[in-house]
Amino acid sequence: MAQMNLMQQLIYYYQQNGVYVLSQFTRHFLISIYGVLFAAIIGIPIGIFIAHHSRLSSTVIAIANVIQTIPSLAMLSIIMIGLGLGVNTVIVTVFLYALLPIIKNTYTGMLNVNSSILDSGKGMGMTRWQILRMVELPLSLSVIMAGLRNALVLAIGITAIGTFVGAGGLGDIIIRGTNATNGGAIILAGALPTALMAIISDTVLAWIERRADPTHK
Amino acid sequence: MKKIKKWLLGVVATVASGVLLAGCGFPGLSGTSSDTIRIASQNTTEQQIMAYMIQDMIQHYSKLNTTIINNLGSGTVSFNALKNDQADISAIRYTGTDLTTILGEKVDRNNVKATDKKVADQFNKKYKMTYFPSYGFADTYAFMVTQKTADKYHLKTVSDLKKVSSKLTVGLDQMWLERKGDGYDAFQKLYGYQFGKTYPMQIGLVYDALESGKMDAILGYSTDGRIGSYDLKILKDDKNFFPTYNASAVASNKVLKQHPELKSILNRLNGKISLKTMQGLNYQVDNNLVEPEVVAKQFLEKHNYFEGSDK
Repeated sequence: MAQMNLMQQLIYYYQQNGVYVLSQFTRHFLISIYGVLFAAIIGIPIGIFIAHHSRLSSTVIAIANVIQTIPSLAMLSIIMIGLGLGVNTVIVTVFLYALLPIIKNTYTGMLNVNSSILDSGKGMGMTRWQILRMVELPLSLSVIMAGLRNALVLAIGITAIGTFVGAGGLGDIIIRGTNATNGGAIILAGALPTALMAIISDTVLAWIERRADPTHK
Repeated sequence: MKKIKKWLLGVVATVASGVLLAGCGFPGLSGTSSDTIRIASQNTTEQQIMAYMIQDMIQHYSKLNTTIINNLGSGTVSFNALKNDQADISAIRYTGTDLTTILGEKVDRNNVKATDKKVADQFNKKYKMTYFPSYGFADTYAFMVTQKTADKYHLKTVSDLKKVSSKLTVGLDQMWLERKGDGYDAFQKLYGYQFGKTYPMQIGLVYDALESGKMDAILGYSTDGRIGSYDLKILKDDKNFFPTYNASAVASNKVLKQHPELKSILNRLNGKISLKTMQGLNYQVDNNLVEPEVVAKQFLEKHNYFEGSDK
């Protein structure tokens, strides 16, 4: 092994462990996705709600901000006390971190909808539900998507730390690299797919975000 | 635009309802449902190899779901995971370690053989855990030096280190420094000397530190494959300071009751892995860039999953 350079080692590593890396890649991606999806299911309605009840907005966003300031390793440990070791703990952590970008972007997106458009909607006799569904949401969708995009990239980074509570994922490979002889190649073998995953999800969501923006038709 | 919105709503709705309906876990993600066998593994190479081996064996012989809780920091952490029902099986536990750290008993230097039975009995009685018979190897702490150092100071035993101990820089397992019973304090008492400088290190890194001359001596694990490849000299523990650390799987009685088939599956590995075999497997991982998961699978496939060797 020692006579190979880093690049050769990396290629050799993938040849030997390709299937394993792929399974950890999927696991890593799923953990991130589940956390963000839950955050979206909870966060988007909250964002809509506080946009309509602006008195609550500062409190809710402040809470989400506070969550964001807790270091991720500390958060992981705190949640571990309640949920124990394993993958559920990581999903909850990802969920909490994904809340802020999603709530904030939903809130901003909704506020940015031009009030004269809302008024004309009202003038046409639309119900509140219709205005939300046919005016507000479509117009703010691109901003909401930007929030999801932020959240997912953040989530992929946090999931990498999930290895410390035994959740698996690409973080396992990185940590093993730090313990092994010639670990450099193994660290890269874990870190590169993680970065790649973040870049690809970011690009894909950016594309959806552009498509969702009604002004860029 | 409208299509995308509908599509997004659809995805969110399906996944959400899927998760809620499944109730017991996330699809595609092992370890989230309640009927999964959780295997605890520490952050050392052989722990991970054995964890994957157990996982493969369970998947081969039964339809149970399995997951590995990887990278636990110490034997105590993995013990607590089992005790608090956060894990069902511990991939490897070492009798000597459990005797001194978990049970808090003194090492009986005259009757080493009794350790295994004592630990197994106490675990069953006190913690409702079943200690399986040993895999066939013991992973003992061992002081090592390079052949060059050994020749220079004429070192054969741990006692020989005494005359040069104040000059030595020694790399050791961080855990060992704080351990009672078989840790550094007890070591100083029995052997009557201490080292000039000690460096607590990640255990996987001590062998390279020794080989590259950054350390004069190290405290390593006897199962490591690099002992052979670097031609390191193991110093004989002439005062029998360290107990035997026979390696076994440990499972909670609860999971064995729920899934009785686990017992025969785990028993298939009894005595199947000698010290040499383990060194070889470790070497594959530590030096040849093969993942523990792959090494475990290859080993089991080579031996046909120990088919026909149950009971």
